[in-house]
Amino acid sequence: MSTPPMLRQLRHDVWATGKLLERCRSLTTEQLQLTAPGTYGSIQKTFAHIVRANEGYLNTYGVISQPFMELTASVDEIASRLARVRDAVEQLFKSKEVDFDEKIHDERRKVDMELWVPLAQFSHHGSDHRSQIGTILTLNGLEAPDLDVWTYATAEGAIADF
Amino acid sequence: MTDFLLRQMRHGVWANEKLLDRCRALTDEQLELTVPGTYGTIRNTLAHIVASEEGYLVRLLGSLLHEPPVREQDLATLDVIAAHVAHVTSAVERLFAKGSLDPDRVIGDTPLRRAGAPRFEMAAWAPAAQFVYHGIDHRSQIDTILSTHGLETLDLQVWPYAMELGASREAKEDR
Repeated sequence: MSTPPMLRQLRHDVWATGKLLERCRSLTTEQLQLTAPGTYGSIQKTFAHIVRANEGYLNTYGVISQPFMELTASVDEIASRLARVRDAVEQLFKSKEVDFDEKIHDERRKVDMELWVPLAQFSHHGSDHRSQIGTILTLNGLEAPDLDVWTYATAEGAIADF
Repeated sequence: MTDFLLRQMRHGVWANEKLLDRCRALTDEQLELTVPGTYGTIRNTLAHIVASEEGYLVRLLGSLLHEPPVREQDLATLDVIAAHVAHVTSAVERLFAKGSLDPDRVIGDTPLRRAGAPRFEMAAWAPAAQFVYHGIDHRSQIDTILSTHGLETLDLQVWPYAMELGASREAKEDR
């Protein structure tokens, strides 16, 4: 059976956040506080924001529980929460057939919405903010890893060069 | 059920159009703004997004969207970029016209491969996911450039897109 493209997209997202976090483990405490104009904030705070938001999106489907991570979380705490996000993504696609066109009431956000929306936002949100971290790193002369799907798909053996 | 990839690609197209509209209000000098750590100027980044998206779609469809194929350096004005956004929009719909994409289908080559360039075989999910990722990444850079220079930015997240589509709305209080 094919892996659903939605799951592929989310796995890439979690992989990219994990790779970037791994890269940032070699930064000093001061470097983790670097930022750039026009971005969300410091590298550390942006990571916490990405993973906290992931928790919120997955909470919509009942595969992750509150409380969500604090924005002041350490890199170790962020990594541990990311592992929880990774497991929840797999659980979402393992547990049941989700009808992503179903309309639900989301009390936490005070909206009525179709179920595909938070997952599409998951993927958008992470890529958007990782791009900002990439900009902060490059702007400060620090190496930024390649996080695109080509790199991920090559690592997964889904691309071969002849 | 509408294919999730189609939803994501439509969101990407919507975001490109919104951003392009926003950029039409910029002066020529503002379109040449950039910041270190991003792809380049606003104009070049828009051209890069759209030319790349055409490339991903050519690979997925197995045929050119038009002759001759676009090159990034051809996309010198916003009007030309907009014309190619229209090509992308129609190709996305064509890709899903007969139903969902088989994500595991192996694509052996692209009609855009130059003589002597390496050939890549890949599962169809890869260029499809890259289409989604790549646009977000570079639109985010344009957002950073606008913001850095004190220019108004747009909210291009899935939330406002879903609101526009009617797939999300504020809940009534008497619920």
